[in-house]
Amino acid sequence: MSPARSLQQGTRYRVVAVATAALTVPALAAGCSVANSSHSDAASPDTLRIVLPQEPPTLEPCDASLTSTGVVVRSNITEPLVERNADTGDLEPKLADSWEQTSDTVWTFRIRPGVTFSDGSAFDAEDAAFSIDRTVNSTIGCDVDGYVFGDDALVVNAIDPSTVTVQTPTADPILPLRISFVEMVPSTTDTKDKVRDPIGTGPYKIDYWDHGQRLSLVRNDTYWGTAPEYTRAIYQWRTEGSVRAAMVTNDEAELATYLGPEDGAGDLGAAYPNNETTALRMMATEPPLDDYRVREAIDLSVNRAGIVKALFQGLGDPAGQLVGSSIVGFDPDLQPTPFDPDRAAQLVAEAKADGVPVDKQIRLIGRTGQFPKINETIEVIQNSLSKAGLNVKIEMMDTAGQMQYQIRPFPQGTGPILLMIQHGNQAGDAQFTVDQYMRSDGYQSYFGSAGYDAQIDAAEQLVGDARQDAFASVLANEPREIRQFAYIAHMNAVLAKSPTVQYTPNSATGDEMRLSEMTHADTSANG
Amino acid sequence: MFAFLRRRVYTSLVPLLVVLFGVFLLARLTGDPTNLYLPVSATPDQRAEFAAENGLDKPVLSQMADYLSGVVHLDFGESLRTGESAATMALRAFPATLQLAFFTMLLAIIGAIVIGCWAAYRPNSLADRISSLLSMTAASIPDFWFAITGVWIFAVVLGVLPTSGTGSALSWILPVATLLIRPLGVLTQVVRGAMVSALSAPYVRLARSKGAGDLRVVTHHALRNAAAPALTVAGDLTVGLVNGAVVVEAIFGWPGIGKLMIDAILQRDFAVLQAAVLLTAVSIFVLNILIDAGYALLDARVREKTKV
Repeated sequence: MSPARSLQQGTRYRVVAVATAALTVPALAAGCSVANSSHSDAASPDTLRIVLPQEPPTLEPCDASLTSTGVVVRSNITEPLVERNADTGDLEPKLADSWEQTSDTVWTFRIRPGVTFSDGSAFDAEDAAFSIDRTVNSTIGCDVDGYVFGDDALVVNAIDPSTVTVQTPTADPILPLRISFVEMVPSTTDTKDKVRDPIGTGPYKIDYWDHGQRLSLVRNDTYWGTAPEYTRAIYQWRTEGSVRAAMVTNDEAELATYLGPEDGAGDLGAAYPNNETTALRMMATEPPLDDYRVREAIDLSVNRAGIVKALFQGLGDPAGQLVGSSIVGFDPDLQPTPFDPDRAAQLVAEAKADGVPVDKQIRLIGRTGQFPKINETIEVIQNSLSKAGLNVKIEMMDTAGQMQYQIRPFPQGTGPILLMIQHGNQAGDAQFTVDQYMRSDGYQSYFGSAGYDAQIDAAEQLVGDARQDAFASVLANEPREIRQFAYIAHMNAVLAKSPTVQYTPNSATGDEMRLSEMTHADTSANG
Repeated sequence: MFAFLRRRVYTSLVPLLVVLFGVFLLARLTGDPTNLYLPVSATPDQRAEFAAENGLDKPVLSQMADYLSGVVHLDFGESLRTGESAATMALRAFPATLQLAFFTMLLAIIGAIVIGCWAAYRPNSLADRISSLLSMTAASIPDFWFAITGVWIFAVVLGVLPTSGTGSALSWILPVATLLIRPLGVLTQVVRGAMVSALSAPYVRLARSKGAGDLRVVTHHALRNAAAPALTVAGDLTVGLVNGAVVVEAIFGWPGIGKLMIDAILQRDFAVLQAAVLLTAVSIFVLNILIDAGYALLDARVREKTKV
């Protein structure tokens, strides 16, 4: 071997050795920790580990009507003045001891004494007034404002440290229900921007938030109410339902939410009605959907019972209206439209004979992952509609894509659309459904009529049984007067729960999962 | 060598610029983020204010000019979702992907050399059949299926591995195994093919005739000459891992650049998506340069071709 060759070869080996070392050393130095993880998921009997389908986009309390935000924030980090009992539908005191309507347009709330925020500052009427004003009257674009209050501006006053009044432009018989969506924050909270680390009066406060990884809450030791049993809660998120279920069966988490019937939770799964109703929304401003017979044919073509039985494995009920049974205004006598493909085909044929362009392509738009088995549901419906004689093309979109078609202003020149929607009424009153989905100018409504709007207006002025009856009538009239929807199913959700935890999900669990209601299973058994 | 690298840098700049412009334009085609970030009832004024605050009200070309100006000054904008610097988010996520890719390739290379050499040394043996099975499996099993099946078998049924997360050393096994199967299969075939050729070459027969043992023939003579094609393929596979660990990261909750990209796409978080894609493209660009440099070091003919 010549000296030159030896030198060249030696250089090559050194280069390779240096390169290998450069790659290996940092990797091994990192050991088996991941660069972007700074906290462990260590199990502890006093820690609840909860796995969600997605990371909360924000923890801003005024966005708590967003499901993925509310499920973490509401009644865990922050609390409202009053809260709705998910089982009875009644409003119950929380940070307000009592409330009353003191004039046609004014409601007065009495603040509970002795409550402090997790930063140690006292909670009083000034904070309550500030929180309502910030949520409803500010320009930061609170989701609660849009979902619950619409365009109404409120006049809010702290009369004294324990009294706050809320004045509405017109009489509002359900204002306390709306106020139950306003989470209380200190008056020092930013009014120009949304916050990412909210301070609240709740039983827990934020410990840390590793964005993209996990969120940890710890018990608020200055909490005014009964101390919750678990000292810490760690939220993680996994997109795959089967992985979420497996995390509970594999003892990596105590709770997993939003599972499908096929995700494998097995005996650890618990089904519960989640207030969500699925439906097809029909764009009746475009032919052929502007013909009532075509819309009726679409409604008749939906095999609700078959979808619930075969696709949802029985987890749900065929729907005849857009709200579920726990909502004020639900009409128990309203039956789902029967599946009648022959009548549907006949109606389409009649419309065609009258010159309705039933051959025009209709876009059937769905949102990927909106609910378990949505792809199969859409395919089943398309197949039925094709058999009825309609030309339907499936388009699946992600959330942002689908949202363009869900809310006003709708894109122009889109052609006729059938949109798969899933509506969850968290507030418990049909007004929150019909205002958005059935008024002529509702944010999520394609069309309506002046007469039908008047029925809604009249119902909204009522209280008690009269309100229930009036909204039941409004919902019953929708298919007769408008027929914008083909209702599909009142959905059930599945939650996987470790045997070590005692927790009974209810219809509000998907929107507001209260950690303080979760206890050790053995303690409950003994107690 | 320097001229060779300089030439490679110049030729790689073109695709980098295509990525830079392409991701910007494609991101805008995915839709307006306003509907995701403002409530259903947001007024036109609020929508206009949101658009103005985030530069979404400007013409696309103007937005692009702002973006390019920012890139020149290493300012990649802020996340719509978190308000954090997009570059910081991308740089924080990237090491997790690199670690995953590094360990996967390390195992793939070691495994491929052992199985490939064994198969080449004894054609039609058990090792040769394993090699063939690996390559067929690699070609036919989708990542997500392997990942979910792995979770079901090892986490749910056997309970020996965590389903996901990054909390312990065991949490590496399923993601790495999922990513490993394709590179291992492909590399094993490459090593086997190169070794079969090398073992039948005249210099190997010469070495044998001089009394060299089997192990020395394989490791000191044949393997060195089979290394160049294997290195090239390994480099390409590493690039693929850095670029394509999206599904695995999403399923296993791995906090890498792929998961960040998916989240950014779903959230219409343009600045984060652009920063993540650009960082990935630059890394692939650098990786390719390193691979070419390594290849040139091993094979002088590559260097010679670049001389004018």
